[in-house]
Amino acid sequence: MTVLRDYAASVTQPSLGQSAALFDEVASPDGTLRTAWKRLAAEAVDLTLPELNRVGGEITRLLGDEAVVYTPPGGEQRSWRLDPVPLVIAADEWAVLEKGLAQRAELLNAIQLDLYGPQELLSRGTLPPSIVFGHSGFLRVVARTRVDHQRQLVITGTDLGRTPTGEWQVLADRAQAPSGIGFAMENRRVLSRVLPVAYREAGLHRLAPFFQALRVSLTQAAPHGRDNPRVVVLSPGPTSETAYDQAFIATTLGFPLVEGSDLVTRDGAVWMRVLGRLERVDVILRRVDADWSDPLELRGESQLGVTGLTEAVRRGSVTVVNGLGSGVLENPALLPFMSAMCEQLLDEPLRLAGVPTVWAGTPEGRDQVIDRLDALDVRRIDPPFEVDLARDALVAAIVAEPYRFVGQERATVSVSPTLDRGILQPHALTLRAFTLRHGSSYRPMIGGLATAAPIGTAPDQVGVSKDVWVLKESPDEPDQGLLDQLPVSQARAPVTQVPRVLDDLFWLGRYAERVEDLLRLAIVTHELAEDFQGRPHSSGGQTLSVVAGTLRSLSPSAYDRADFEGDLRSLLLDARRPGSVAQTVARLKEIAQSVRDQVSPDLFRVFGAMDRARGALAANPHGWQIGESAGRMLTDVLALHGVTGNMVRDEGWHLMEIGRGIERSLQLCHVIGPTLSARRGLDVDRDLHHAVLQASESAITHRRRHRGVVRGASVLDLLLLDETNPRSLLFNLRAIDASLATLPGSSGSTRPERLVDDLLEELDRLDVADLLATEGDHRPNLARFAHATAQHLMRLSDAVGEVHFATGPVPRSLAFSTVGAGA
Amino acid sequence: MRYRVWHRTTYTYDEDVSNSYGLAHVVPRASPTQHVESVDVRIEPTPGDATRDMDYYGNAVTYFQVTSPHRTLVVDATSEVEVVPPVHDPAVLATPWEQARPADRPDVDGAWRAVDFSLPSTLVDQTEQARAYAAESLVPGRPVGEAVTDLMHRIHADFTYDKGATTVTSRIDDVFAQRAGVCQDFAHLTLSCLRSHGLAVAYISGYLATTPAPGRERVVGADASHAWAAVWLPDGSWLALDPTNDQWANDRYVTVARGRDYKDVPPVKGIIYTDAKSSTLDVQVDVAPLV
Repeated sequence: MTVLRDYAASVTQPSLGQSAALFDEVASPDGTLRTAWKRLAAEAVDLTLPELNRVGGEITRLLGDEAVVYTPPGGEQRSWRLDPVPLVIAADEWAVLEKGLAQRAELLNAIQLDLYGPQELLSRGTLPPSIVFGHSGFLRVVARTRVDHQRQLVITGTDLGRTPTGEWQVLADRAQAPSGIGFAMENRRVLSRVLPVAYREAGLHRLAPFFQALRVSLTQAAPHGRDNPRVVVLSPGPTSETAYDQAFIATTLGFPLVEGSDLVTRDGAVWMRVLGRLERVDVILRRVDADWSDPLELRGESQLGVTGLTEAVRRGSVTVVNGLGSGVLENPALLPFMSAMCEQLLDEPLRLAGVPTVWAGTPEGRDQVIDRLDALDVRRIDPPFEVDLARDALVAAIVAEPYRFVGQERATVSVSPTLDRGILQPHALTLRAFTLRHGSSYRPMIGGLATAAPIGTAPDQVGVSKDVWVLKESPDEPDQGLLDQLPVSQARAPVTQVPRVLDDLFWLGRYAERVEDLLRLAIVTHELAEDFQGRPHSSGGQTLSVVAGTLRSLSPSAYDRADFEGDLRSLLLDARRPGSVAQTVARLKEIAQSVRDQVSPDLFRVFGAMDRARGALAANPHGWQIGESAGRMLTDVLALHGVTGNMVRDEGWHLMEIGRGIERSLQLCHVIGPTLSARRGLDVDRDLHHAVLQASESAITHRRRHRGVVRGASVLDLLLLDETNPRSLLFNLRAIDASLATLPGSSGSTRPERLVDDLLEELDRLDVADLLATEGDHRPNLARFAHATAQHLMRLSDAVGEVHFATGPVPRSLAFSTVGAGA
Repeated sequence: MRYRVWHRTTYTYDEDVSNSYGLAHVVPRASPTQHVESVDVRIEPTPGDATRDMDYYGNAVTYFQVTSPHRTLVVDATSEVEVVPPVHDPAVLATPWEQARPADRPDVDGAWRAVDFSLPSTLVDQTEQARAYAAESLVPGRPVGEAVTDLMHRIHADFTYDKGATTVTSRIDDVFAQRAGVCQDFAHLTLSCLRSHGLAVAYISGYLATTPAPGRERVVGADASHAWAAVWLPDGSWLALDPTNDQWANDRYVTVARGRDYKDVPPVKGIIYTDAKSSTLDVQVDVAPLV
């Protein structure tokens, strides 16, 4: 017996209690597998429990390595979860659902066109007006759009559950900015890798053609007469709940991922800031909620939107997908009227039933909802839908504004076997389906995004996603039923170097370098500590104290000065310690996530590996593990340079290199200042020279050049003035200079270029012997030089920001002109 | 009566504003009782982009974007209008107020559209306090004209006109707490009171022609923009009443815009891009009778 057959057989037993009455996606009531599953290859059906757990582990590792993340509403960001057991739907069953979904999208589109146009649903009494006028998604500012195609729905999401008799039923419509298409594709990618044979043999619809169709649909949504239209994906930013989904779609479709501040309106049209010039935007795939999309006409405090966007939409110069007004369709109070609206607008019966819903806006409806308060799910008609009120307060709220509430039958959903703590459990299943306007009709994605969660829990918070396998009727059926692809108009290479992205890439360069340099210094410190921490007065002990002090000056620490190991551990592990490796890595990861569409997914593997190295350190109290983990992290961060080394040499790459060069130079100054600008006796000085060379990755070069004889002059010469040493100040300044010259904003005389020139001239005049001149035990010239150069480099960093990615002030509301007097 | 209306809004900043977007509701709207003869809206500096359109509620709205750096922004609107005194059907005014709830009158043409004005809006909550306050005027079966006029009298009597008592974003609770406010607050109060009983009431912004005190010259620019309310009547018409001055609107009232509350139709609103720390706002209004 295999795990799925065991599961199916157990379904007939009474022990499963409450789930017994629900439809099971895998098991028939007689304890055998459902037809769809019987048709799957033995590779899928015959998995044993250990095999299934191994696959589950693989999935977790793959998703972790690529930092596929999700932030549940009101929760903390976490790894995306995918169950190894897919939802499998047979072709004949899907065919019924597909017709229902297509009709529903068509109907929602017709409702939207009517509500923002003639409003015949209201004037003919089909839909009570307070459902529309009292809903926050009804945006009057776009209700006068004269361009009809601007209002077409392009993508809809439909949340479905299955009744005990196996009928799919709509739980909610998503029209504002449906998320999850990217996650659906990601699920498929991962599952096809961990279950390759089962996937190959299953004969299911691939998803890729749907993405091609999506690309075509977005392009065709452009205002008339725009050849070769520019499409962008507008995101609320990397901290949004579904940032990964947004970046995935942008990357897959080849459209730039932008934020509101990257766009600007001029002359009633939308433009993208690209390298100091403006490029016209024709279509915006919007993932910012409509309310936040334009501070001028919608929420004034929004920093996520584009000022003037509403006006541009009204003029028809840009298409927003889905339109700004589409939120009105997410109102659950529409559900009880769906059938009548379908008859009026499409002149056909509604195919897909919605979950039974009572609108409290009529006296009878209100009484029904209040009478059955315990049996119904009471929800608001607009966000936040969920009501969290005690019974009395809820009744009072319903009585005060009845039209704002609905009562819904507790959603009956099916169950699907889901891997939970090592065994298969029947979890409640919901399916999000997606439907796309393709040409002049609507076409559902053959597949979707399913979520399973323990019965009675919130899928958003604790759920795990499932891939959705829709089987083909016959093997020669085309994927997604898309035999004749619409022509894809000429693809334009995405130019995405908006100032915000350049800013991020610059700091990606700086932080990556900072991590590397900190780790090198930590490794040197750890080696010294292993040998000398018990002998503070030995020359090695004094060297240790100076090096450890240097590290503390870079990352202040509350540890006792003698507790070298505790200090190093916290440097590597404590993300709250300012300037620590842990904190810098966390910041680096955040930035990498915000430019996810710009960088290779391999980058995230590096973070996965670093996390594991840190995990090993946290789990192992032995001192040697510090060196081991720091060493592994160093290897990982070097791999990161390897990944970025494969990037196209565009402005973004050059700015990353500039950031890296500035940081490397800066760290060099921070190290040589405190270590070399004092005389501490021959032995200590010699040890410190070694330590500095080692921390600067120049020890081997120095040994080869100077045959092991270490002098201050030779060390400084190698670190400051050697034009062939990639760690030297001169080398890095020249590299910065060369990279600056490639940037479009550079003229040869911009402030960053002048600052680099000044430094280069200074190095040209620099006399190492002069730097080493002593006054008593000090080398004041060297201390001054290190300090002044560091200051100079920080000014350079600021200047690069001002010249190459300054975005100007943020939008502010004018004081409202008052209305008054007249007494 | 014919008037020339002049409405100038001036913003002054202490630093350059590089980019400024605005929306202005400063042009009187046309209606059966108001004929708009000429309109001129000037914006300084000259906007790179400006359009005039009609908003969802049929008000004239001007959109503009100024892209040249500036420290002063002026929106200057001049218009000539003719206002005729509104006439109301006594039979309609005598209808019991309960029959003036648009949601319950699907038999009245266009009543569904008026439902929009019977729901809470951004700045106008429907509070228990407002409901109870209004209930004293809205006694069962009372003629709608009489009931709402009584409410107007009471607001005028119970609340003090005080410019310092409230701000543009004050809410109904604040107005009740202060027992004071400006015309906008009194208009909002009327909306809240009547809407909480299911009546539909619109917020009206506009001007009131003032008469100088005997023997004094009319002072140009000393007038102000004004706000009042209009109640839906079961024949589809609206009864405009001004709680600030305790009277029904007449031919001295020039209507600019109507909406659900102030937020729908502020005379000027905008978004600016600047490093300026402070800005000042100056409004001048003049309503001059024409012969």
